[in-house]
Amino acid sequence: MSERTGNLSGKALILGSIVAALLLVGAYLAAGGSSYEPKQVQDPCKPRPWSDPQTLGQIANQFTISALDGAACQLGVTRETLALALTTLERRERFEERYGIDDEKLARAIRAGLVRAVDDAEEAGALSPLIAVPLRQAVQRIPLEQAIEIINDAQGFLGDAQGFLGPAQGVIEQLLPGGLGGLGLP
Amino acid sequence: MAESRRPRVAALALAVGLVLADSSIVVLALPEIYRELDTSVSGVTWVLVSFNLVIALAAVPAALVARRVGPARTAAVGLAIFAGAGLACGLADELSTLIVARCVQALGGAAAVTAALELLPATVGSERRAATVWAAAGATGAALGPAVGGLLTELVSWQSIFLLQVPLALAAAVPILAVAKHEAATRVIEAEVRSTGRPHLWANLALAMVSAAIAAALFLLVLLLIEGWRLSPIEAAAVVSAMPLAAILGSRLAERVGDERSRAAAGAILVSGGLAGLAFLPKATIALTLPPQVLVGFGLALVLSALTETALGGRAPQAIHGGWTISSRHAGVVIGLLLLTPIFTADIEEQRHDAINAGTAVILDSPVNPLLKIDLAEKVSERLDEERGKVPTIGPAFEPKPDDSSQRAEVDQLQSELQDQLDRGATHAFSTSFLLAALLGLIALFPIGLSRRVDL
Repeated sequence: MSERTGNLSGKALILGSIVAALLLVGAYLAAGGSSYEPKQVQDPCKPRPWSDPQTLGQIANQFTISALDGAACQLGVTRETLALALTTLERRERFEERYGIDDEKLARAIRAGLVRAVDDAEEAGALSPLIAVPLRQAVQRIPLEQAIEIINDAQGFLGDAQGFLGPAQGVIEQLLPGGLGGLGLP
Repeated sequence: MAESRRPRVAALALAVGLVLADSSIVVLALPEIYRELDTSVSGVTWVLVSFNLVIALAAVPAALVARRVGPARTAAVGLAIFAGAGLACGLADELSTLIVARCVQALGGAAAVTAALELLPATVGSERRAATVWAAAGATGAALGPAVGGLLTELVSWQSIFLLQVPLALAAAVPILAVAKHEAATRVIEAEVRSTGRPHLWANLALAMVSAAIAAALFLLVLLLIEGWRLSPIEAAAVVSAMPLAAILGSRLAERVGDERSRAAAGAILVSGGLAGLAFLPKATIALTLPPQVLVGFGLALVLSALTETALGGRAPQAIHGGWTISSRHAGVVIGLLLLTPIFTADIEEQRHDAINAGTAVILDSPVNPLLKIDLAEKVSERLDEERGKVPTIGPAFEPKPDDSSQRAEVDQLQSELQDQLDRGATHAFSTSFLLAALLGLIALFPIGLSRRVDL
């Protein structure tokens, strides 16, 4: 069929091929080829420590994450799935249909999430107990749309709460010798 | 070679190159066909599978027909069918029409290619020279196919790939028609088909397995580049050209090794090593696809030539045994695509879900202003809805960028992290399929070990 010079040994060729293949695969594995995949999302039921927020924006960030974790934990989904589901009404309906959840169950879960967010904020010293107590009471009764609105705009919600309850702090500060400095309201 | 024979040799080489290019030429057009005909990845795979399946089934019968009714007439009719069906492919506006036309095109193609192998010895003067011309034309077509397909898809349209084949196939048919007239007038057709002997089982089995691995390499890599990493067809064509370029260099190396089994074994090992490299890409970077492609290219040059020579060596007539090798190679392509398509489509969906979750986690955990974050999450989710089932382009979701420089830096950082998660998901989605393809290449070592050339 064909005439070949045959000046290269077959064994040398096979050996060279094995070495080349192993070198390539070894180099790629050493460079992280076996772990190049999307990062795994965290279980929402596990506590997620707050990272010492300073500004209202940072507190709102942590508050939203805690609320989503709490609600997602109740619903048995990831916090990321829930966050995307709450971006539009259409996505929310698709999410409810896929997971067999109705508005009432979703509302209960989000309220529970908001309560967890208030608890976490208080525990981290980011929210004064004087504000945390009424906030906790308030979020347990709010309707679904408002609950979603709080998650979407935690900064506005916390700002409003502070503005509304702020004057009460002054009164308490006069009554308490140490003031409210130790209660951590930013 | 006589001057008068040159157009005929060129026509036969063009016919072989055109048909064998067709099994891979649409690979880079598949994402475009997938979008335009509104189908699924599994559905669009049949544009490739149907062509290769029909060639695999029709190659040996076509060789028998060529020997019975005359190779020139068979080749001319085959090319006419190939051209007509190509026109139908180019005009198809539904996937089912396209697939049926591809089947008819493959029938014509099988007739043309096997008849060409029967015609070439008389045209070029020897069976050995004929096999060399035939193999070189096929390899050139297969090597140029993806790049030409990518160029045409981007510069004109996917339909132009098929429409361009019509005049080329007809141009190849014209010089062959003259032989067909002579063939009919002088009744030189043999009345009986010679006994052909059994095909070389092990060499053909190994050819099928290696072809499955190589087809998977090309198909998966193109999908990864276009659908996963969002390259344009022309860019993807440039990237995957590394494989045929390496194959050309590999063929030089192949000429220096006489032992066919060693060449075949070394080639299968290189193909498997390259595929395993693609399975373990450490980053979504084009440059990192090049070393594995070089290995696959070198490997395919070694293994395909060695196995084809083993399968044809000492067996006559060449057309029938050439038919068996074509059948094995295309059957391998079909097996590779059918085996791996359900696996990687399921993996793509799973990884898309994981990448979206990871990307959302990146957005939620970022230090970006909460209101901006919600706005971004909404825009990214819109992109996901718009580009259903695919890895989205997230750039537009981040426009316009905030005026404040520190916020803009945070948004840029977020965009880069989000893109990284999507790239990771897209790349990882192909890992299992590349590994399985590598395994197919390694399994081919068993029949290669059992194959032995029979010399007359």
